[in-house]
Amino acid sequence: MEFLARLLHLQPQTFWMIAKVIIVFAGPLTLAALLTWVERRGSAMIQDRIGPNRALLFGRWRLLGLPQLAADGIKFFLKEDLVTADANKALFWLAPFLAFVPAMMGFAVIPFGRSLVQGGQTYHMSLLEPGNGMGMLYPLAIGSVAVYGILTAAWSSNNKWSILGGMRASAQMVSYELAMSLAVVAIFLRTGGYDPHEIIAHQAVLWNVIPQFFGFLVFFVCMFAETNRLPFDFAEGESEIVAGFHTEYGSMKFALLQLSEYVHIVTAAALIVTLYFGGWQVPFVAAPSVTLSIAAFVLKLVFFCWVFIWIRWTVPRFRFDQLMFMGWKVMLPLSLGNLMVQAFLMYRRG
Amino acid sequence: MAVVVKKVELTWVDRTYVIPVLQGMAITMKHFLKQILTRSRKRFTVQYPEWKREVAPGYRGLHELKRFEDGSIKCVACFMCAEACPARCITIEADAFGDLNKTQGFEEKRPAVFRIDMLRCIYCGMCEEACPKDAIWLRGDYEQASYDRLSMQFGKWDLMNTYADKDGKARITQDPTPSIPRNPTSL
Ligand code: SF4
Ligand code: SF4
Repeated sequence: MEFLARLLHLQPQTFWMIAKVIIVFAGPLTLAALLTWVERRGSAMIQDRIGPNRALLFGRWRLLGLPQLAADGIKFFLKEDLVTADANKALFWLAPFLAFVPAMMGFAVIPFGRSLVQGGQTYHMSLLEPGNGMGMLYPLAIGSVAVYGILTAAWSSNNKWSILGGMRASAQMVSYELAMSLAVVAIFLRTGGYDPHEIIAHQAVLWNVIPQFFGFLVFFVCMFAETNRLPFDFAEGESEIVAGFHTEYGSMKFALLQLSEYVHIVTAAALIVTLYFGGWQVPFVAAPSVTLSIAAFVLKLVFFCWVFIWIRWTVPRFRFDQLMFMGWKVMLPLSLGNLMVQAFLMYRRG
Repeated sequence: MAVVVKKVELTWVDRTYVIPVLQGMAITMKHFLKQILTRSRKRFTVQYPEWKREVAPGYRGLHELKRFEDGSIKCVACFMCAEACPARCITIEADAFGDLNKTQGFEEKRPAVFRIDMLRCIYCGMCEEACPKDAIWLRGDYEQASYDRLSMQFGKWDLMNTYADKDGKARITQDPTPSIPRNPTSL
């Protein structure tokens, strides 16, 4: 690291900051792009189909359909960029970015590896250093901001189906945010702090998923609502509201909206891993090396990304009233109860 | 009549949703693994342009005008198929068959023009049924597409050569001239 920094005539700290920014922004983005491929191939396999494999690299290599990503990229850029006549043009252009940027930003706080000590200097493997005062509250807050992107997209297209989709998205967000936050608060209680580094360090012996199983369940389900993924993707809906909030979107703007969903998956998976599955901790290894810890984190991350896709192709979309019922009458009490039990245990322990 | 949908009584296990969802995930995972582990040849989906489906023997696809061994057309331009065709897509113009040949001792007519408009054909097989000479058959080819309407007008030579190479027959574009004169005793 110092060698690389010297090569670029930079202070190691500065170099590491730049490297981290690149990792934190390019990493999830790459993973998200790959996820679009995994989703299409994976869903094909789940449904006994074959999936996209027609795009050839230089007319020769099929690579299991991976050139489809490049083909999609080119297609998105070259397509005609339509804006409907009655749309609110400024907001229409702004909405994809409003959806995309918060999705990208959530990852900033997640530690993706063990802190590295080199040359008397500690390098932390997360964009925001520990003790920044925001901790785990930051991704939760940012995650909810993403719904503004959907709302703006829905409202600015001036299309009644889109508005219905946006409305459903916001209602869903409201009914899930509370249960989700309460589940996370129980984790904060267990840890005695809300910094992701502390939370991960606290899970060295026992991952939170075991003592906090109900909290995990609630958080996991809420993450689907948060990412707008299938059992709860009420912002969309081919059969009842045409396509939902992105009905009027095409070309690159649509791609951004779609991509933000996948970045959301990556962030959500990272949150689940950090909060409940020990972050970069490796089971049965007390002090893993830095490389091992990063590998463990990435492995867990990829696994949970796959779970998101897996569940999408297993469970059909819920009805809207079922979602409301679940959110307010099942998830919230469950989460609240979980919090109370946790608080009571802490009180007993003194 | 309205269909009465019976409401399924859910047990408490089903009401938790968690276990049924896990069961469902097991099922989808099974399908996923099965697909991954099956060689792509054996998969349910046929990778179309490379691999073609074998059609059943009775399939009604592209027409073939049959010919005798010496190459002369079996069709005697009787217009039966054109009459039977519900889509009215067969056009036949008859021609006197002057030079009779070995196999074809009796016929006096043959089609000068035999055209099927494949865009109108509904592949019903009526022409096949109606033909008294078994001269027109519908066989396996199901890929018929083209960039213009004109190339979907299949003429006599197109139809006679439809399966020429595949069946080991030579391609011809001319009525064969009779090599041996008609044998009167065969009458
Ligand atoms: S298959 Fe039917 S529609 Fe086609 S040419 Fe024969 S009789 Fe006509
Ligand atoms: S194809 Fe058969 S039915 Fe049609 S004109 Fe020829 S002999 Fe007659």
